[in-house]
Order: sequence, then C-alpha cells, then structure tokens
Amino acid sequence: MSDATRVSSGQIGRSLPRVEARAKVTGAAEYIHNLRLPGMLYGKICRSTVPHGRILRIDASAAAAIPGVHRIVTAEDIRTVIAEPYYGPAFHDQPILAEGKVRHVGEPVAVVLATDPHIAEEAAQAIVVEYAPLPAVFDEIEAMNSAAIVHDILKPAGTFPDLKHLAGRSGTNVALDFHLRRGDTERAFAAAEHIFEHSFRTQQVMHTPLEPHVSLADAADGGVTIHSATQTPSFVRIEIARLLGWPENRVRVKTAFLGGGFGAKVYVKLEALAVALSLLARRPVKLALTMEEQFFTISKHASTFRIKSAVDGHGHITARQCQVFYNGGAYADIGPRVAQKSGFTATGPYDIPNVAIDSYEIYTNRPPAGALRGFGVPQLVWAYESHTDLIARALGRDPVEFRRRNLLRDGAPQATGTVMRDAAISAVLDRLAARLAWDQPFDRGAGTLKRGRGLAIGFKASISPTTSVATVAIAADGSCILYCGTVDMGQGSTTAMAQIAAEALGIEAEAVRVVAPDTDVTPYDMGTLGSRSLFHMGNAVRLAAQDARDKLAALAAETGVPPGANLPISEQFRRKYGMQAGTIVGAGSYIPAYAPPDSATGLTPNATPFWMVGGAGAEVEIDTETGRVRVLRLVNVADAGTPINPGIVETQLTGAAIMQLGFTLFEEMQFTDGQLRNPSLAEYKIPGIRDMPDRIEAETVDSAQQSGPYGAKGVGETGTFAVSPAIANAIEDAVGVRISELPITAEAVYRALRRAAGDQLEDL
Amino acid sequence: MTPFELEEPVLLGAALALLDPEDSSVRAIAGGTALMLMMKSGLYRPRRLVSLRKLAPALDGVRSAPDGGIEIGAMVRLSDLRRSAVVRAAAPVIAETLLTHSNVRVRNVATIGGNLAQGDPHMDLPPVLIALGASVRLAGPGGERIVRVEDLLTGYLETVIANNELITAVIVPPQTGWRTAYAKVTARSADDWPALGLAVSVRVEAGIARDARIAIGAATETAMRLPGTEALLAGRAIDDALLQEAGRAAAAEAPVVADHHGSASYKRVLVAVHLGRALRQTIAGAER
Repeated sequence: MSDATRVSSGQIGRSLPRVEARAKVTGAAEYIHNLRLPGMLYGKICRSTVPHGRILRIDASAAAAIPGVHRIVTAEDIRTVIAEPYYGPAFHDQPILAEGKVRHVGEPVAVVLATDPHIAEEAAQAIVVEYAPLPAVFDEIEAMNSAAIVHDILKPAGTFPDLKHLAGRSGTNVALDFHLRRGDTERAFAAAEHIFEHSFRTQQVMHTPLEPHVSLADAADGGVTIHSATQTPSFVRIEIARLLGWPENRVRVKTAFLGGGFGAKVYVKLEALAVALSLLARRPVKLALTMEEQFFTISKHASTFRIKSAVDGHGHITARQCQVFYNGGAYADIGPRVAQKSGFTATGPYDIPNVAIDSYEIYTNRPPAGALRGFGVPQLVWAYESHTDLIARALGRDPVEFRRRNLLRDGAPQATGTVMRDAAISAVLDRLAARLAWDQPFDRGAGTLKRGRGLAIGFKASISPTTSVATVAIAADGSCILYCGTVDMGQGSTTAMAQIAAEALGIEAEAVRVVAPDTDVTPYDMGTLGSRSLFHMGNAVRLAAQDARDKLAALAAETGVPPGANLPISEQFRRKYGMQAGTIVGAGSYIPAYAPPDSATGLTPNATPFWMVGGAGAEVEIDTETGRVRVLRLVNVADAGTPINPGIVETQLTGAAIMQLGFTLFEEMQFTDGQLRNPSLAEYKIPGIRDMPDRIEAETVDSAQQSGPYGAKGVGETGTFAVSPAIANAIEDAVGVRISELPITAEAVYRALRRAAGDQLEDL
Repeated sequence: MTPFELEEPVLLGAALALLDPEDSSVRAIAGGTALMLMMKSGLYRPRRLVSLRKLAPALDGVRSAPDGGIEIGAMVRLSDLRRSAVVRAAAPVIAETLLTHSNVRVRNVATIGGNLAQGDPHMDLPPVLIALGASVRLAGPGGERIVRVEDLLTGYLETVIANNELITAVIVPPQTGWRTAYAKVTARSADDWPALGLAVSVRVEAGIARDARIAIGAATETAMRLPGTEALLAGRAIDDALLQEAGRAAAAEAPVVADHHGSASYKRVLVAVHLGRALRQTIAGAER
C-alpha cells in the first residue's frame, strides 16, 4: 500500500463510519456459521428434559442405527480425552456433558456426530435418556434455604483469589455472598426521621444475539484450532489448555465478526465440547446452536432486591441497606463476579454515609445466568431508582431535586470507600432534566389515555483488574497493521481502535488495518466484555502505537533525517535497509491499578479504573382501559468520557436502551416447574421497529476520563442502566400505580390499576 | 429435517391424486412459512410434500365477481393481496389487516390458501374473513364444495379439509351496507402474534344496527363467531350503553384461554374494551 499520510491529529471525536460496514451490507463479511472444513462432522446435542435428576440410563441404540451417524458421545467418552471435564470462569462446576445427574432443563447430556446436520439432529431426538427426578428449586429466595441442593460441593476455580474461601462448602445453594459495611447503619436507622423499605424483582431474559453460539474445533498434529464466535478468545485458549493439560501454544482460537454477543459469548460455551468431540472423532467438528438452544445456554439473572433507606428531616438519605439475590441458575458461569462487582454500587449514585450491602449468587435448577450488558447493574438500578422515586413522592419532594440533594459528587467516597473521580453524575442528571424540560408543565393526556414522565440515573464500577496487550506493525511501505484481540461483535471496536492507533501515529484511521482476533497472532486480551475494551485495549493500542512512533523517530534519527523533515516513512526504511524491507513493531500492555475489597468490610480504596454513568428519561402514555404502555419519548444521557467516535457512541447508547426497553416491557423466559415454556422467537419477543418510542434521543455530557485513551471510557452497557426505572417512574406519574416487578406488561399495569381502584381483577 | 419426497405437479388433478386421504405424512405445501417451522423443529416429518408452486398460475389472481363480491385464488400471496386494488375496493379491511400481519418476508411467500388450511388460531385473517361472511372453494377427488370459513376451522390446527382436498379459492360476498373493522391486540411486542383478534361487521341504518357479524381469534382455541353478541346488537340503536353491554356480553360469551399472552380474565377485559372500540370504528365509517 501507499505511504500512510502523516497528519497531526483529528482522529479523536471523528464519526468515521464503521470500517466493516461495506463488507457487512454486501454480505461479504465472514462469520463462523459459514465455515466448513474438509472432513468436518456436525454435532447435535441431546438435552435434558428434567430440571434436576439422576441419569439412570442413556439408550442411544436407535440413534446409532440411523444411517449417516458417525458416533454417539456421552460424558464417559469425554473423560477419555479430558480427565477432569469441568469448566467455568469462577467455579469449575460445569460438566462438558452431564455426568451422573442433570441440573437444568436443556443441559447437554449426549452428542450425535454425523456428516449431515439433519441426520445428527434426527438422531439426537432418537436418544432415550431415563432420569430419576430429584427435588428441584427455581426461585432465588427459596433456594437460600432449600432442601434441594443443586451442587453437592462448591468448586471455585482459583482464578479469582477472593473466591478461594468458598472451596469445599457443601449443603448450600449460595455460590457467593458479598458483604459490604460502611458507617453505622443501625444507629442511622434508629435516628431516622423516615424509613422506607421496598422489594423489587426482575425476570430471567436472554441475550438473543441474532447469530447463535457456534464453535468449530479441529484437533490435529498435537494441537487444536478452535474457530469460535467468542468474546473471549484468550480466556478460551487458557481454559482449553488447562482442561487438556497442554501449553497455551498448542491451542489456537480464532474469531470472526460476531453477530452480536451482549455477554452471551464470554468464557467457555461450546468450545470445550467441540474440542473433546474433535479429539474423539479425529476430525473437525462443528457445533452450531439454533436460536432455541440459546435459551438453555446462558441468560440474564432474575433477581430480588430488598432495599431500605433512612432519611432525615432535610431530605438527606442517611443510611441504606441492600439485600440482592441473583438467581444464577444451575451453573455459576461468571455469576459470582456479577454478584460481587454489582454489589459495589447497590446503594446507587448517592452520597450515603452508612451503608450495608449483602449480595448473593444463588444456584437454582434453571438454565445458567451470566453477564448480560450491565453485569447485574440494570437489576440494581431498577430497584434503587424505583425506590428513590417512591421516597421523593412520599416526602412530597420533586424527584430531580431529591436526587440532586443526595447525589454523589467527585471527591466524595462511594459505598466501597473509593473516592469518586471523573464521574459526571451531576452533569448527567442536569442534562437529563434539561432535555425533559423538567421544570416546565407537561401534557398529562385526557380521557382514557394518561401521560406521565419519569427519570432515573445509574452507575457502574467497571470490571477490574484486567489486562490488554496490543502490537502495531509498520511495514516498509509505511502502512500500518494493528494486532488487537478485541472482538468486534457490532459495537464498532475495530473502527475505534483504528482511530486510537492512527491518532497516536499521526495518520488517518483509514490507513490502519486491524487484524481479527487469532490467539496465534494477536496478543493477550482479557476479553471483550463489561465495556472494558475501549478503556483497557484502547490504552494498550495507544501505548503500542506510541512505541512504534518512538521507534520510527529513532529510525529517522539513525538514517539522518533532520527533525521536522517530511520524509515518507517508506523512504526511511529504504535508507536503512537499501530496499523495501523491514518492520517496526510497537507493543503496548495495559493493566489499571486496583485494590481488592477487604474480606471483612467489602471496602476498597480503589474499586474500579473508571465509572460509567447512565441516565434515562421517559415520557409514557397509558391506556387506562387495557394497561397498555406506549413510550412516547426515551432520552438517554451518559458520561462516556470524551467519545472517540461520537456516531458509534450514540448508536451504542440507543441500541442498549432499546434492548433494555424489551427487558422492561415484555421479554421474559417463562417457566413452569423448571420447563421453559417459550424457548423460541415465536413466543419470546424482542423489540421490533413498531415498538420504538416516537422519539429516542442520546447525548453524552462534556467529560474526560483522565486515565482513558484520549479521555475516553467504555459505553457499551451504559444505555441499559436507567431505562426500566425511568419507565416505571413515568407510569406512576401518569396513573398513580407502582410496578415493582419486570416485565411491565399491559396486564400487570391493568391489574395494578384495578387494585388501586379497590376492584381487583378476579381470575376465574 | 430428514429426507422426503417433493412433488411439484402442474395440474390440480395431479396434485389431488398425489395426496393421500389416509396418510397425514403426505401434505400439500404452498408458501411453507408454517410447515417449514414445524419440520425444522421435528414436529412434522413428511413422507411426501406436494408443492403447489406450479399450480400457482391457475390459482392466482383476485377477481371481481358479478355480484360485487371477490374471488381470491388460493395461491395469492399475502403481500399481493395487501396491494390488490380489487381487494382495497371491495373489502379494504383485508388490506388493512395485512399491514401488521406477520412481517414482510413472510407476507412475500405465505399464501391465503395456506394461511387458512393451517388452522392456526393466532392468524389475523380467519376472524376477518368470518366477519366478511367469506367461504372457501375446496377441490377434492369427488369434485368441489363450498365451505364457510367459520365452518372450516374446527380446533387448534384442525379444519374440515380432508387430507386429499385443497383450497382453490376464497370467496368474499358483496359488502354493500356493511362496515368491517379488525382489532389486532398484542400483549408483548407490537410485532407479536395477536393476543386477541376481533373482527366486527355491522350493517347500520339510521343509527340502528340492522345486522352484525362478530368473530374472535387468537384468544380462543379457534377463530369463531359470537352469535349471542350479534343477536344482542341486532335491531338496537347504537349508543355508548349498548357498546358497553355488547362488550360485556362478548367477554362472557367468548371461550377465551390463558396462554403466553395473558390470563383468561385479562383477555376478557381486552374483548370487552376492543369490541366497543371496533364497533365505534365501524359506525364512524358508516356515518362518513
């Protein structure tokens, strides 16, 4: 390629269209679902039909007799290639295939391998499994004290030092309990003018990436290559190497573009099973889930949140107690970290001197729950911002004024004791109120259509402490390649990373080519999750590009180029090597500082490398005869630091808000006795174009994250935080009823209206 | 999906001969939007599918009948039906209903014949066609018979169509003096299957409802008329009190069932509210 044009700057704050847009729109972009390898077998999974039971017998004779079936694989076979076939990022509790017993409906029990996916599917349906049912538990509160125990013994992975104390615990469904104590809540409650106590619940929902999970493993010549739609290629390499007892360099993980992730594709999902199958079959094996199977693979925690606040005579919140129960399902996945990390902020973005937080990750016999766009935080904001509005109303105070009075400001310690820095909480609230014209009169509707408005604000401690490494190569013609393990799943990371590298190098973003994650090529990255990439990898990319720039400067000096001379890079290489030859490699590695929470108090002076702040405002219209909620306007205001690419930031905020709109109004995995009643997009509805609010707006406030790359910070999750309580608060404003459980269906609102009128709807 | 025979006859007689009156693993396939989902999920495993694709020229088109009604070929795709000028003139409610029926990808392949033959209670068209007084033309080995849409559907995915019969056309009678409205009510996403489909046809003269046809779908096991509510309306002056009375009567009469969309008692509320609203809409239309 030609010399990259050297320009001074201008890549930051540039709404460059996404670099892969053309390939995606024309259908040229490659996805793992399209990949076929010679000799490849297709695997189809036979899944548990009971929520909890001992496996008595697996009869695969009819399945094996179907022409075209290569082999049937059960847990016994897996053990011949992987000695201890249990995996998981926090706990080694998840078997590659169910062993001895099953713990949720849809758990993988056996696999059919066939040359034709349809034959594999038919054969999988022909496998007969007999179970002896065990007592099962599905509700997170019941599971706290249930006779039904999902796991006989807790098996923390050892990856996280703060989970080690859980090893060997038995007779409990509590996978993790996090406790935080600051100040003296008892005394504060005793002295309180007002005490408020509420309970809120959220439902289990699914990530619904439009590309379902897919992994293809090719074990050959003493190594294995895994092509996988994963958000965490480096983690998968390490975990597969651990399972096999191999060095990391014999495991190669490659990704392509992902058709969405949202946390569904973090850590090991299908990869361990695909590897085991390929080792057994000695052929490449592809596992591609259907949309229906995704419901049994990973989901978002249902939760119960009991919250209690003390308020003094001036409207200051003096104490808050939070008990949060996350329904983790049958396997821990990353749930223990969700319970702990979200626990840091359970009291909300308020300056409360006395706090007590208890946050629990609880095993039940439901499909597993993990991370979904917010890492437990949307469940918290739903509760504490509904609670905040209820308090303001009860005290006769304006919801904005009441929040302003209690808001956590920069320089003040947050619940964990960490002092707030670079968190534009006040600015977000101010801009939200301004956009909604909060101090102006509002059209309240007429007749059977009543209008109301509400707002809410939430925040999140980013994931920590985690590492990202990047390298930048300058070829002899001056063109630039960025090797970066961040996975582009639609969030535009490739574009943003190219902009950061280009800014550091003083070239145009279009002149940077970004190599897709491939663990044989791209250096370590903890994962594309928790809105961490722009901050962590962004810093690593900037460091790598700066390193390359410094080396270019050294090359210029070495070849006698006077400072400030505008000599093309290619000419500098030519002077040094006498021809078009050589490479300059810049490397960057980034890990932020962190202090783990004290095991007794939960306190830490450094809870997070950065804070994410998201506010939402909603204007709604309620049909009082049916309870139907129409969102007329949805406003999202965020602190995203200094946006690298404002256009992408806006679509991230809006996209996240629309996703949360579905979780707020209708998405729900519906269970009867542990059986999922709606595992398909026919009966599990996500928002469509006609569900969009009439107006949807996004804004970022003026802000800079001092430690971020060019002042930026993560934003992928921010738009989800405050949508649900903003809508519930608007509904109460419109019709005077409070909904405390998601989803807020028309029927739920209608029933609440009838209750409020003293005329409860009877079930006949 | 497992292998199966696929036949693509060109003549109606050949298609009928390929069907088997005794064997439900032999079925006709038109647009395939419902059948393919059942096959992919393993709910239906055909031995033979008789594609009606090549019959389409003979079973296509929307024609005005001499009496002012219309006849719609069974293989007319829903998107063509939605755009048909003949339909818009004779029974605009059909075109309006199809605007929010499923999605454009489905409408571009699904046919009206397949839509009715599937017998799915969550479809929008059956209550609309019942309220319009429509019938289907059924062809079988013994010849042809005409069946009213309200008699065609007998239960969840059940119809009176024999295994070796095919719908060849849908006949909509003239609508002179009648006004029809359809309420599609979703309980979750606006892009959902209906929780309730309610079609209302009335013949109003000087503020009096001379005659009414009221059909319900989605909330019930199958699309059906509500004759008690129709009788209540007939000959009465239309005012708010009557609309409320009719709403209560329909809510009591309709055998609604609970499902993913909501409880039975809530759906009764929806029936009462939306019956009144749909009736108001038809009256407003009649007075224009």
